[in-house]
Amino acid sequence: MLLDQNRARPEGEPAVNQQTTARQLGLIRCHTCGKLAFDVGHDGYEEHCPRCHAHMHMRATNSLSRTWALLITAVVLYVPANVLPIMTVTYFGAGEPDTIMSGIILLLQMGSYPIAAVIFIASILVPLLKMVALLILLLSVQSRWLLDDRQRTRMYRAVELVGRWSMLDIFVIALLVALVNFGSIAQIVSGPGATAFGSVVVLTMLAATTFDARLIWDKETTND
Amino acid sequence: MITPTDTPTLPSIPENWIACKDCDLLLERVDTPVGDKALCPRCANPLYQSRENSAERTLALAITGLLLFIPANLLPVMSMTIIGQESSTTIYKGSLVLFQEGLYWTALLVFFASIVIPFCKLLLMLFISGSLHREHFSPLLPYAFRYYHYLDEWGMLEVYMLGVLVAVVKLKGMASVIPGIGLYCFIALLLVTTLMSSLLDEECFWTRIEQGLKGNPQ
Repeated sequence: MLLDQNRARPEGEPAVNQQTTARQLGLIRCHTCGKLAFDVGHDGYEEHCPRCHAHMHMRATNSLSRTWALLITAVVLYVPANVLPIMTVTYFGAGEPDTIMSGIILLLQMGSYPIAAVIFIASILVPLLKMVALLILLLSVQSRWLLDDRQRTRMYRAVELVGRWSMLDIFVIALLVALVNFGSIAQIVSGPGATAFGSVVVLTMLAATTFDARLIWDKETTND
Repeated sequence: MITPTDTPTLPSIPENWIACKDCDLLLERVDTPVGDKALCPRCANPLYQSRENSAERTLALAITGLLLFIPANLLPVMSMTIIGQESSTTIYKGSLVLFQEGLYWTALLVFFASIVIPFCKLLLMLFISGSLHREHFSPLLPYAFRYYHYLDEWGMLEVYMLGVLVAVVKLKGMASVIPGIGLYCFIALLLVTTLMSSLLDEECFWTRIEQGLKGNPQ
């Protein structure tokens, strides 16, 4: 039997290098439900999954171009997200607009180091690393860099996993503007930076979804 | 000699063949003990994790979640007082105020990620695991589970919870913040939905849906 050695391994068993992919046997794995089906489609023809009726593709359609488009938009919006104020805190008439970074500095001055660290990681570090990681993945697939495939897959999975946590600052703003509404005594008003930042988070999440990790392992072709 | 036919018959794919989501490696499925993860031997991606009584447990949690959803969203999450004036907030009020301030897109984003999508996920799970439990297979079942799969990463209750903690610390210098009864319901809701996702055996659900629909074709 062809697949004698290609067996799913229980956690803890060492990894081995094996080569038979579904594609080599003309099989498509449904991206939604995991069902295997034979590729009977012609060029540009889409087949539906026999189990969940989703469109089936050997590889996600135009995965690289779509990911590029989303990533570039996210990078462009990252600038206003950091430059524009995300909210303005007015306390007894005094107060000025806060950007993401100035908010973190304020927390440091207040002495809330752990929370400042959490916001720094979620709002600055994660989006930045995520965009860099996607850039590395795209470039390495396109120019066939000799990077370790397993490590690149691990990087992709990390990008997929942590992306949503960047929404943290948006939720904080939503809570604060609703709670602190005392007229002239104290007031928190949202700023346009929040929109830009929210868009960056959504765009990078979409970019991670459109990127087809299987392209990392495809050596014959670069894009489908 | 090969006779051309309009519909070539394809060989059937063995039931126990699976492919890795992230590297397309073709694999033979092996049974793992309940709760153990099976990993892809090439890229170490988790492939599946079987769960005991998955349908019944997720059904129970979906019902619990839907019950908790109402107080968690209607009762105040927290309140604060400055010089005698009191102000409190609920989950939906945040997106409402953002909308009034003109940040429509952000308001919608918050509204969907913290209310609409978690609610839809609970409703879909109620329908899916309820159907599996009663062994009643509606043709809508594959669609429902597909959309559950699509919505999965866009429900962000746990991120919202962290947001509540951050907001409390940020307001420390201004006034003290008192947690409301809604917050306790919200924490319970968060625990229930997290448990629901982790006890969901996606692979088993799909297999049962497929077999159930084959059994009584519509």
